[in-house]
Amino acid sequence: MRKGFYLLAAAAFLAAGPALAEDTVTIGFTASQTGKLNNDSTSQLRGFELWRDDVNAKGGIKAGGKSYKVKFVSYDDESQGTRVQQLYTRLITQDKAQFLFSPYSSGLVATAAIISEQYGKVMMSIGGAEEKTYKLGNKYLFQTYTGASQYLAGALDVLKHKNPKAKIAFVYEDDPFSKAVAQATRELAKKDGFTVALEESYSSSTTDFGPIINKVISSGADALLGGGHYADGSTLARQLHDQKAKLKWVTLLVAPDSPNFSKLGDSAVGISVPSQWEPQVTYKPDFGPTPAEFAKEFTAKYKIAPGYHAAGGYSGAMILQHAIEKAGSIDPKKVAAELNKTDVTTFFGKCKFSTDPKSHGLQIGHTMVLAQWQMKDGKLVKEVIWPDNAKTANIMY
Amino acid sequence: MPSSISQDVAKAGTFKPQRSFADEIYRHVREPFPWLIVIFTAVVGLAPVVMDDVSLRESLLLAAVYVTLASNLNLMIGYAEYVNFGNIVFFGLGGYIGVYLATSWHVNLVLSVLAGGVCVSALAYLFGRGILGLRGAFFALATIGVNEAIHAFVTNFEPWGGATGIYLSMDAYEPLGGPMSGLWFCYYLLVLVMGLSLLLSYAIKTSKFGLGILAIGQNEDAAAVLGVPTPRYKAIIYAISGFLPAVAGGLYFFKSGIIEPNGAFDLTTSIEAIVMIMLGGAGTITGPVIGAFLYEELRGFLLFSETFSHLQLVLAGALLLIIVLFVPGGLLGWLRARLPWLRKWLQ
Repeated sequence: MRKGFYLLAAAAFLAAGPALAEDTVTIGFTASQTGKLNNDSTSQLRGFELWRDDVNAKGGIKAGGKSYKVKFVSYDDESQGTRVQQLYTRLITQDKAQFLFSPYSSGLVATAAIISEQYGKVMMSIGGAEEKTYKLGNKYLFQTYTGASQYLAGALDVLKHKNPKAKIAFVYEDDPFSKAVAQATRELAKKDGFTVALEESYSSSTTDFGPIINKVISSGADALLGGGHYADGSTLARQLHDQKAKLKWVTLLVAPDSPNFSKLGDSAVGISVPSQWEPQVTYKPDFGPTPAEFAKEFTAKYKIAPGYHAAGGYSGAMILQHAIEKAGSIDPKKVAAELNKTDVTTFFGKCKFSTDPKSHGLQIGHTMVLAQWQMKDGKLVKEVIWPDNAKTANIMY
Repeated sequence: MPSSISQDVAKAGTFKPQRSFADEIYRHVREPFPWLIVIFTAVVGLAPVVMDDVSLRESLLLAAVYVTLASNLNLMIGYAEYVNFGNIVFFGLGGYIGVYLATSWHVNLVLSVLAGGVCVSALAYLFGRGILGLRGAFFALATIGVNEAIHAFVTNFEPWGGATGIYLSMDAYEPLGGPMSGLWFCYYLLVLVMGLSLLLSYAIKTSKFGLGILAIGQNEDAAAVLGVPTPRYKAIIYAISGFLPAVAGGLYFFKSGIIEPNGAFDLTTSIEAIVMIMLGGAGTITGPVIGAFLYEELRGFLLFSETFSHLQLVLAGALLLIIVLFVPGGLLGWLRARLPWLRKWLQ
């Protein structure tokens, strides 16, 4: 500790002297280098690293007449909450991180926020869709992903556009995430004046959807929203096709996002899926790379196409950079004030944070995109169909 | 290990029965060991304050939780020789009850966590009467079953937030003067719980009840024949071993700001507690402390070190394997076998 103090004093002295040392800004975070979240967390980490390299190659973050090179300090949180507070305390007090990125996944974000809020450090939350965290009165936590309740909002928009009187059947897996999404969407649908024709949940191990599909048919529904994860979602899609359910619109969670979904052949045609981001979106960014440029750079470096975790990591970091540059300072209060004012579009989509004290930091600008499997020249392709400013193909209804 | 226990048994057995309470207290006060516990607890509690180091507090806090878990589990594994794999259920359930009372009902934190401890102990006693008829592997399996059953129940129990759990707001720390002082308060209480765990281990080991438990550990049938009411004693020790971990759970999860089923009923932590006991020496009081501190420091060191941070789990695993293979009595067992004078000081 004492040694650190002297070093700090020396650094302060140097900074004040005429020979200006290079300024750095330290960003701390934990990543799940081991454990069950490793896969998603790693792509997010790659997004961060790509951003850092880009920024430093351009001379760093420019604020208040200075250029700050970006330095990362990170630890492995083992995908568990146990050490998150210890690590974030260390990042703040010992590693002197000026800004923080959140860990991956909602539970870890909430745990880390208890520490970052205490020290008044801005933390960009990248990878926590659960909305509970943002309704606790945090002041320095900013979410870049769309929250769980908005997952199927895009599908409702499409229906409103195509058939405002549609009768909707909700058929969803009986797990917390799908349940939360379906229940929130049902409320939105009622508000929009749709008729809810049927509501059925099924257990995760369901393999025969026959009885449920019969109910869907007899309810006279035009559209089906719901699903859950890969196994049940793909089975449901296949059996809907086999039983000729004659639905005009089907949106399922998660499953159709996987490239494997194309193996369903004809059953996959027309099925849509919500996603935080897809490489082929066509947003026009206010600053930073375009979606295509990002995808190209990422693929060149990591030899793998970027998913939404990587894109979210890069753009979340870029939003922080933008706020620092606007504030002209690395003072957390000023940066937080700029983040509150943020209303921009990047290659990841729109970004705007709620400033209502009851839901401060909640993402209210970003929307999910809706991708749909379509036949193109005899081949199945996943096209982005919604929102209009990101679409690569027209809606097939 | 068995020889050291039988020596402890013999030592405890030399006390005369029929003493007054004051005599009993006096007997302990004359011994150096309880004082060591008190001094140790005070040092741990004050170290981060004196050194003004919050990172140290976070590290010691985890260590205190581990000592509490390991030390109370040692009552089952080391004393009664019943392997309780699902010991984390006490921690998780106590955590849920404590956090729920403190946040949803705005009950004073100390009362909330104590209520968590009492509820868990009561439940443990009832369960204990049922499952402690099982022995060996069957008992170990049953304890895992209890943990999984409660895990499943909590996941579907909406008042406790179901699968996503309970998230605490910053306001929850207001009664303690804001999150900054709230976290310090939780730290002091957790260290206190750790100290109480050690005193409890000592008190049980030197009591008549403890003799009965140790006898059950040596040979349950023989103990029953000699008049130890084994089913009742086992249920009582099972219930006692749940009390302080449940209290610690309430404090720990309150401090973490979130409790969710997968984190609260994580079997890995159960296993880690067993590892700590093996590392330090089962059946002793100091052993689990040494084990817990070593384990926490080792993991912390590997995590922060530049060279090892990518290999930390591999190295931790390898080291543990070596210890279990070559030092089965744990570190304390090894020391005590070589330095007999240590026995008076480190029990």
